[in-house]
Amino acid sequence: MVMAWELLFLFSPFIVVIAGLIGERVKIAKLREIVAIVMSAFSVYSVYNLYNMIQATQNKILIVTLGGAPPLGACLEIDMLSIYMAFSATLLGLFATVYSYSYMEHDTRLTEYYTLLSALVASIVGVSFAGDFFTFFVFWEMMGITSYVLVAFRKENWGPIEAGFKYMVMGAIGSTLLLLGIALVYGMAGTVNFAQVSMVLKHQPLGIWLSLALIIFIVGFGVKSAIVPMHTWLPDAHPEAPSPISAMLSGILIETALYGLTRVLNILFEPSIFQMAVAVLAVLTMCLANILALLQQDIKRMLAYSSIAQMGYMLIGLSTGSLYGLQGLFLHVFNHSLLKGLAFLSAGSMVHVANTRDIQGLKGIGRAMPITTLTLFIAFLGLGGVPTTNGFISKYILFGSAMGAGLWWLTLLGVLNSAFSMAYYLRVMKTLISEPIEAVKGLKEAPALMLAVTVAMATLIIMFGVWPEPTAYYANEAAKALVTNLDKYIGVIMR
Amino acid sequence: MADEVFFLGTAFVLVSVGLYCATQKNMIRILLGIEMILNAGNLVLVFFASRYSSMGFVDPLGQSLVFMSIVLGGCVISVGLALIVNAYKQFKTTNVRKLRRLRW
Repeated sequence: MVMAWELLFLFSPFIVVIAGLIGERVKIAKLREIVAIVMSAFSVYSVYNLYNMIQATQNKILIVTLGGAPPLGACLEIDMLSIYMAFSATLLGLFATVYSYSYMEHDTRLTEYYTLLSALVASIVGVSFAGDFFTFFVFWEMMGITSYVLVAFRKENWGPIEAGFKYMVMGAIGSTLLLLGIALVYGMAGTVNFAQVSMVLKHQPLGIWLSLALIIFIVGFGVKSAIVPMHTWLPDAHPEAPSPISAMLSGILIETALYGLTRVLNILFEPSIFQMAVAVLAVLTMCLANILALLQQDIKRMLAYSSIAQMGYMLIGLSTGSLYGLQGLFLHVFNHSLLKGLAFLSAGSMVHVANTRDIQGLKGIGRAMPITTLTLFIAFLGLGGVPTTNGFISKYILFGSAMGAGLWWLTLLGVLNSAFSMAYYLRVMKTLISEPIEAVKGLKEAPALMLAVTVAMATLIIMFGVWPEPTAYYANEAAKALVTNLDKYIGVIMR
Repeated sequence: MADEVFFLGTAFVLVSVGLYCATQKNMIRILLGIEMILNAGNLVLVFFASRYSSMGFVDPLGQSLVFMSIVLGGCVISVGLALIVNAYKQFKTTNVRKLRRLRW
């Protein structure tokens, strides 16, 4: 198949920029906002249609080729895992876009903002759809460039510029190392198609070049997914970005990097090869991030460290290499996209109203903004893994899978870290509802549209917490596409 | 064999020099370091593309990847330069060690 209309949503940035330019020229108020919201809703609908198309195929894999047959031409290989990631990305993108309508209304250069936001969503979807390293790298760099610019979007202040520069340097080094890894894989396999590379390299003994490629891939993806020795950009970049962008970055971008790591490691190596390395990284990531999160005075910076800790929990699922572990990983990717998205958006509402990010400066804001505070509490409880929120389900599966793989110390450390993380969530919750200080007394609740988004996300969190069957089922399908159906993934290309 | 040592050795040197440059103080120098690592990747790709030649032509796959990565590298560097211009406006310096107001 060459191209389907369902894939046209990848071009939504062009439509948004054209609408924005027309809106600026003929002075139609809010045209670009409306078009951006419509396009992001259309993206969710298109992903749903693609899901139906995949269900109709025999192997549940859809191949879209561009410019020739797979060895030479670029190709998109869309399986259940790709759809799962794309759905998480477009859903969070829809929430972030609707939220931006109110949050960004006092900013200028909004045409650029909405174009970059929809380009970010489109590139994340592209990364998860890519069927070869070529397409993957193109979308990967697109994701990087849009996020560098979005972090530094409020360039009038020094904070975003400094954070954006740090992020740009580290991200660019990471993606250039990734290119080096791709070059090595190309040298060993003679092709860059995922399926063909997997067929050539998966069962080879681990030589010096393959080990080098493994290290380069872990470092290259690890920079973007903020695994601990390479995490230093994240606590600067995520708080300084506008709140909807923080939600996108923490909620789905670093998970997309983890998706890349999971996909590439699983198609290139047997799980037993990278198991120990990933387990050690998981422990480092969890422990260090949780300790540093406790020391933060800035609410968004604390959430950024909490994101790093959550990456550690997800790495547990990768290190087990089993179907159950990967199910936990992907379930946590979706749940974390809702939880951390909601946490950043609710905290963003408070920052928007109170105009400070200091936790002490927000003391007692719960009396002034009860609904926003309630949604933030739901997000915090979910991040801490309290039952009846969806965070509990995925953490249960993740820690259980480590037990099943014989890594009991990983389970122990994970549970201890999860309990420890409640300390800083509860500290913030207590501050927010204690006796109000003067500065927050006259504040009003956030605008209605922002409230609607946060309430909708909180409802989804509770809903998937008490009724986890659908998300667990699709996470299982996604994990199956990577582990047990890998031969089908290869067979579709090789036919 | 001599070819392999020469090209892969040059790529290794480029990566090392690039990583060294990326730890320097000057922002422009950091960007040049990033560009060097990128070019090491490109060199490795071009070398392997020549190894997979058929009927006297080098493998077009590796070549096309190189062109794409040059374009993408240009995009990243232009974003980086834009950030440097803005950083110079804010901090009045191109010394990256001065960009350390964000801590903890």
